[in-house]
Amino acid sequence: MSPQDASHRAPEGARPAWGGPAPGMSAALQSGTAAIAQVEHSEGVWHAAWRRFKTDRVGLVCAVIVVAFLLLIAMAALGLVAKNWQKEVGVPNAPPTFIGPRPPEAIGAIEVPKGPNVDLSAVDPLAPRYKEWDERAAKFKTQEVVKAETLPMGGDRFGRDVLAKAIKGTQISVFVGVMAALVATLIGTLLGALSGYFGGRVGDFLEWLYNVFEAIPGILLIFAFAAVFGRGITTVVLILGLTGWSGLYRQVRSEFIKHRSREYVRAAEAIGASVWSRIFTHILPNVSHVVLVRMSLLVVGFIKAEVILSYLGLGVGVDDVSWGTMLAEAQSELILGYWWQLAAATAFMAVFVTAFSLMTDALRDALDPKLRGLE
Amino acid sequence: MAAYLIRRLWQMVPTLLGVVLLVFFLFKYFGGDPAEILGGLNATPEQIAAIRQTLGLDQPVWVQLGIYLKSIVTFDWGKSWATNESVANLFATRLPATLTVMTPILILDVLLALPVAMWVAYRRGSLSDRTIMVVSTVALSVSFLVYIIVGQYLFGFQLGWFPVQGWSDSVWTNLVTYVPLPVLLAVMVGLAPQTRLYRTFFLDELGHDYVRTARAKGLTENTVMFKHVLRNAMIPILTNVGLALPGIFVGSFLIEVFFSIPGLGREVLLAVNRSDYPVIQAVTVYLAVITMVINLIVDVCFKLVDPRVVLK
Amino acid sequence: MTLLSIQDLRVAFRMGKVNGVAQRAEAVKGVTFDIAQNTTVALVGESGSGKSVTAMSVLNLLPDNAERSGKILWQGKDLLRTPLHELQHLRGKEIACVFQDPMQSLNPVFTVGDQLCEPLVKHMKMGQRAALERAEQCLVEVGMPEPKRRLAAYPHELSGGQQQRVMIAMALACEPKLLIADEPTTALDVTIQRQILELIAEIQRKHRMSVLFISHDLGVVGEIADEVLVMRNGILREQGPVAAIFASPKDAYTQALLACRPSLERNPARLMVIDDHIAGRAAQQEPKPKDPSAPVVLEVRGLSKSFWIKQGLFGRREFKAVQNVNFQLRKGHTLGVVGESGSGKTTMGLSLLRLHEANTGPMSGEAIFGGKNLLTLTDRERQPMRRRIQVVFQNPYASLNPRFTIGQTLVEPMAIHGIGADTNERENRARTLLEKVDLDGTAFGKYPHEFSGGQRQRIAIARALTLNPEVLVLDEAVSALDVSVQAQVLNLLKDLQDELGLAYIFISHDLAVVRFISDEVLVMKDGVVVEQASAARILAAPREEYTRRLLAAVPRGYRPARAVA
Repeated sequence: MSPQDASHRAPEGARPAWGGPAPGMSAALQSGTAAIAQVEHSEGVWHAAWRRFKTDRVGLVCAVIVVAFLLLIAMAALGLVAKNWQKEVGVPNAPPTFIGPRPPEAIGAIEVPKGPNVDLSAVDPLAPRYKEWDERAAKFKTQEVVKAETLPMGGDRFGRDVLAKAIKGTQISVFVGVMAALVATLIGTLLGALSGYFGGRVGDFLEWLYNVFEAIPGILLIFAFAAVFGRGITTVVLILGLTGWSGLYRQVRSEFIKHRSREYVRAAEAIGASVWSRIFTHILPNVSHVVLVRMSLLVVGFIKAEVILSYLGLGVGVDDVSWGTMLAEAQSELILGYWWQLAAATAFMAVFVTAFSLMTDALRDALDPKLRGLE
Repeated sequence: MAAYLIRRLWQMVPTLLGVVLLVFFLFKYFGGDPAEILGGLNATPEQIAAIRQTLGLDQPVWVQLGIYLKSIVTFDWGKSWATNESVANLFATRLPATLTVMTPILILDVLLALPVAMWVAYRRGSLSDRTIMVVSTVALSVSFLVYIIVGQYLFGFQLGWFPVQGWSDSVWTNLVTYVPLPVLLAVMVGLAPQTRLYRTFFLDELGHDYVRTARAKGLTENTVMFKHVLRNAMIPILTNVGLALPGIFVGSFLIEVFFSIPGLGREVLLAVNRSDYPVIQAVTVYLAVITMVINLIVDVCFKLVDPRVVLK
Repeated sequence: MTLLSIQDLRVAFRMGKVNGVAQRAEAVKGVTFDIAQNTTVALVGESGSGKSVTAMSVLNLLPDNAERSGKILWQGKDLLRTPLHELQHLRGKEIACVFQDPMQSLNPVFTVGDQLCEPLVKHMKMGQRAALERAEQCLVEVGMPEPKRRLAAYPHELSGGQQQRVMIAMALACEPKLLIADEPTTALDVTIQRQILELIAEIQRKHRMSVLFISHDLGVVGEIADEVLVMRNGILREQGPVAAIFASPKDAYTQALLACRPSLERNPARLMVIDDHIAGRAAQQEPKPKDPSAPVVLEVRGLSKSFWIKQGLFGRREFKAVQNVNFQLRKGHTLGVVGESGSGKTTMGLSLLRLHEANTGPMSGEAIFGGKNLLTLTDRERQPMRRRIQVVFQNPYASLNPRFTIGQTLVEPMAIHGIGADTNERENRARTLLEKVDLDGTAFGKYPHEFSGGQRQRIAIARALTLNPEVLVLDEAVSALDVSVQAQVLNLLKDLQDELGLAYIFISHDLAVVRFISDEVLVMKDGVVVEQASAARILAAPREEYTRRLLAAVPRGYRPARAVA
């Protein structure tokens, strides 16, 4: 808040004539929109956003897809599907079912000799024991595991079911992405709120912290943390969360700076609301839509980061599968002509991330239009 | 101006100190024991103790910190634990390769995204705008990895248009032979997000009153777009380029790994895998300094772009 | 000769689709009027009347989602059906525009000279040097000091008044036949506004140009217009020569608009509001005189407040926003504080409420309220004091939390200060207060965006009243409201003062409004009190030069003497 006004007073909320109506036009459009939004009951921002969201067909379809994926993930987490992804149920590099099994390879050109085997029992030292061993072996039940020739989406080089891996990988990759986004959001929002609202020494300190993290290029920071912490799911979540909060911090901070000199916050101070009440009860709900959209972007970013980290061997642990580990294996398989693991991982990832991104876009558009009285 | 520069340089000191502290304590308290790493799997306890003493790890924390700070200030970054190569030498040899790849990518990204974004912003809401938006979203959802894997396979392996991997000593050969494929892939992937971003900038500018004034003066739509809007949109665009500049020094490690380009990014990745702490620490600090210097230069140059900027 | 003829113009905006049905908002619903040569035509209306949309339709400067129909004939040619490149030949050359906010309307990255030369180069085919010379001439004509230097300046280096002069120069450059001025003075201070108005009038006379002047302020319009058109809700309510409109308006809305302005001439007890007028209610009575010996509730001595501004490398300097303010506020009285922007009036009000953070700069002086000095209260003492002195802010669209229902907004202060035994009681109190400010009890569960500016301001007043304060600081509380709504809120404030015995500190830049509601007036300039006296005396016999200038700058509306001059 500048201590002196400008030499002319601009009417607050004066809007350009293009992207939005000029002040002279605003009320005309306001009465127009009021006519449109014939709601029987009052709705807050979220209800209004939900109502708008429902009219966006693309957004709805994507939301459904995302929810379907989330259900799949829940089932995988509970062990209802893809539990045994590690079992080698197929022949190595089994092709997908719709292609059909690989023709058996001609192994070498060694001719099998004809005729009965030579009797070696005279010179074979183990010969007397064969009969005894055969009898003993007959007592054990042996299971003939028939390795499948084809699997629904093919098999990897160990013969593991690619479909199961893809589902399990979805669970891990999305879980990491969402959890890391949550961590980063919590840190960024809290720090941004404190820094934006208080300014002064607290703000200076937090700005210094932010500058330190921003001075180091992102990937480098992740690498440094990864070098030190190692791999594993929780580790990746922590690494991504601890290095990825700066963008959100910046945005929340600027929102808080913008809002703290708004008149409704001044009014709250005037009636005697406490500092914490002003930050969390008054301002934060007005910023939550920004945080939500940003967090969705973070989810996508972190999923992609996790994929790359896992590809490089720095992400999830050795025993876990993620889209990244699948891609790592796929690279060498591709040269041999086995494309299905690449296709499966890419397909799952593309569908989920596209649906999530489009849903986020629709969400942002639903939340955006003149956020009902904010401006 | 001088006062501004001094003030900015002065403000860089605490940040740099913070970076150094962060790196130092991160590796000290969370990293493995350097003596054990250097000693290897089969080292005896005595050997490890000896290494520890050489490295000065038995000294109190603040003494170690002091030694570390001193080494930074005197540009003595030690040697790589894995190859025993001096870290300074590492920079000198790897950086050119990184820059040879990254600079064309940055330039092409900006030059290509600009016209597409302008065109798309002007036709906001039309079918072509929305199609491009959806297509770019889908394109963005596929990991960069896939593009490289498939691209390398398709263009290098199958079609043979470009070499699959490789690097040479001559800058010209590199630019002509080895750089095109990685640059092509990176630009393809980077174009979508850049275009979206620039589109937002243009849309923002189109919403301003001065556009209406320009039209009211009778200027043609082309003049309005290419003279008035573009000039204003250059401000956020250049800010964006300024932010991306420090990134080209690290390079894209993925590209360097896939195409076996001996650049800085690949070096760092190798260092991470080998727990080669001196390299990682040095690169981090070094790049932080570069980032801050570039930011300062960009801020100073900003006055040329935006006359409203007051440097104080 | 008729220059421009608008016939049955209709403008609607496409607002997207709801359930597959395309939505349209009609802004202009069939407007017909002519503009003759060498005339100033004023288009008057409140916000939402469609006046700006009408003006912008002429040159098609509306957003993409606008649909126009009807006829706009410019010297015989229908502008609605002219292709774009022909329209571009007209724009800036035959018809030029001046807009409301010059800071936003000028391109920030080009110099003034660049922008001035553009229409000259395009329409008059001048070379660069010739264009610059002509540009300088234009700047001289609009009264710009140091015109040669200004050519190389950027818009942000100029003051608001100077920027508007540049806009006018740009519009005049090619000597247009018609100037469309869309609220050109609304964003300016009163004294600057006077200068720009005189400039436009002078230019109109000199070039024998026609002007289409859009405004919401009848006072301004009365001074410069030859013909007046009154619009409301997209319809033309009345049109005619200015003398006729002001002396004997026929339409009820026009009558109401004229009557509900607080003016410097009359001093009613209540302002007429539109509905009053339309319903034909009787006019005002003289105000009740206030009790001069009422107890003093707030005494301010030597109040000063400064802000720290960063300077140089590490230093800072002190900016004195308010210097040595003294006054006494009695119970049931109103102190009006008048000044232009930068006068420090708002800072003074907020300092009394302790709403300026301590670390922004030093504050000194005394404000004795209830036996204590407001300015030196500790945090703990401040809380109970908050109950007794409250504030209503300027911007109705920003002073209510958009995420709180009205009920939450009203109950919160009571909950903080422990008024009322339980939630039920507080809610009842809230509903009573809503009724007191003439709002329905159903407002309780609604959100701010469902209310108009005037209604929100009344909610803000209700919120201030929840704590039973004794003093209310009104910081430009009616400045952002339309004239008719402003009248309603001012009447409400007067009623509440009579009923509850409140003392007001009324801060405003609008002398007429201050005159209506205040008993004593403080005139401030650059942080200093220039003059201080009773409202009647300030008006009748201002002592200081600045006060006189302020009074002279207030638009008076149409006065028959003008026709003679």
